[in-house]
Amino acid sequence: MVDFIEISVVAVGTFLAMSMFSTLYGKSSPLYALAEESYIGFATGLTIIWNIDYIWKTGIVNIMAGDWVLLFSILLGAMMLMRVHPKYGYVARLPIAIVLGAQFGLSLRTIIFTGFIQQISATIVPLFTGGTQTLIYNWTIVICVIFMLTFFFYTIEMKGALGMSARFGEYLLYIAFGAVFAQTFMGRLGLVIGFLQSYTIPDWKTPYLLASMALVLALIMYMDRAGLLEKLTPEE
Amino acid sequence: MMMAKDSGGILKWMAEYDRRYVYLVLFLVMVGPLLRPIGMPISVSPDTVQYYNVLQQVQPGDKVFFTLNTEFSGYNEIQSGIIATMRVLVEKHARIAFGVAHVEATVIPELIVKAVQAEMTANDYQYGRDYIILGYIFPNEAAVAAGAQDFHGVVTQDWLGRPIAGTFLDEIDDWEDWDLIADFTTGIATSFLINHYALRGTPMIMNCIGIMIASEKPYVDSGVLLGLLQSMRGGAELEFLIGRPGPGLTAMDGFSFGHYALIIFILIGNVGYFGYTRQQQMRVDREAK
Repeated sequence: MVDFIEISVVAVGTFLAMSMFSTLYGKSSPLYALAEESYIGFATGLTIIWNIDYIWKTGIVNIMAGDWVLLFSILLGAMMLMRVHPKYGYVARLPIAIVLGAQFGLSLRTIIFTGFIQQISATIVPLFTGGTQTLIYNWTIVICVIFMLTFFFYTIEMKGALGMSARFGEYLLYIAFGAVFAQTFMGRLGLVIGFLQSYTIPDWKTPYLLASMALVLALIMYMDRAGLLEKLTPEE
Repeated sequence: MMMAKDSGGILKWMAEYDRRYVYLVLFLVMVGPLLRPIGMPISVSPDTVQYYNVLQQVQPGDKVFFTLNTEFSGYNEIQSGIIATMRVLVEKHARIAFGVAHVEATVIPELIVKAVQAEMTANDYQYGRDYIILGYIFPNEAAVAAGAQDFHGVVTQDWLGRPIAGTFLDEIDDWEDWDLIADFTTGIATSFLINHYALRGTPMIMNCIGIMIASEKPYVDSGVLLGLLQSMRGGAELEFLIGRPGPGLTAMDGFSFGHYALIIFILIGNVGYFGYTRQQQMRVDREAK
């Protein structure tokens, strides 16, 4: 048995979601503004609450357990908040510098391996051993990498064999862009279908989805005809 | 891009039709099959088989870090992969810790547990002993890096503030103690997990959203990731492999029709654009003579 709270959540959820989709109508809409502002408010509140919770669990609880070093972190965090003070805003520069330095250290140490060395080593593949399919894959990888890299030679005149290689590399890039576009479309479609599924499974939710679609579309078209769309949309 | 003077006709309409028709048609071709699934056949890609094989190697009692690097919108796209993976892990009697990298995802572990409740009950899963929800524990790279070196230094409580001491997480000290990381991602803290866990040697698999496939696939080729499940399509393939239809397989009809619709729109737009441009050019040439 579905309770009233669940029905309310689905009804409000579908209406706000469809209001968000109303941006596809191509004109400013008060329904879109309502949904957008609601989301911003919700997301901001949620972020603040969970981050305070994180500070409590990771910082305060451990300090109470005797890990006094974390007091230093809390102090640095408090200094970061000084950014909002017009006179003492410079105090925030110290924790920002520490965060930047730590971040550089953390990521540089590892990105060199994951983003560079391991990618190069993955390109060095056997070209004369293995099955037919493997050989085709491996040759494709090596040839494509060489052609594409020549496209990015900027300090040498592109003519002759080098020019042809660069031109071919350019075409390979276009093919890759096409593949990425197709994957992007698939991903976006997945997001929409996933959203629609969350309001079509189980079956009892479907009428709320369809009713919200019809209601929002009718409201938008009515307001458009009556010249109310821009009038009722709050300014940024 | 269009010529100034024209006489209309079908080519003009094809070149300039209102884009809202595209949205409307896409919406309809996706909603229809969701309400009345047709059950079109799908094939299983080698990447999904590779991911599935990694899951099959999970042993009873293995400690799996189930990380959700996703907002709620992204969860909708990869939920089929998440639930199918969870089903396999539960049936393998793995011990599972849920960690979250986005505040919106804090409620997702509960949804996952609810979705596989039948399997968890059948396998006598108990909170703390067999699974635990840690909540929002990855706000930034520093937190991920610290957790990889001293887990209990940064995580002391579960998402509801209950101490994790006494749970199976007592066996976790650092990155080496995890048997597998199953990461479900829209890209938030995934690179941190790769850098501080997978690179050191923790086995890691990933289910990512569609737009991340091209950027994450090289990590599989270079051996950093053991498997990559691609978007909702990968989730559907995994559901097919484990013989448990779910949201992924249900969505595949809409997915296919959506792609067909896009191809048709691309064809219409291109035929219209080139045809109409040529028509206008011919008219200009005629008038010049």
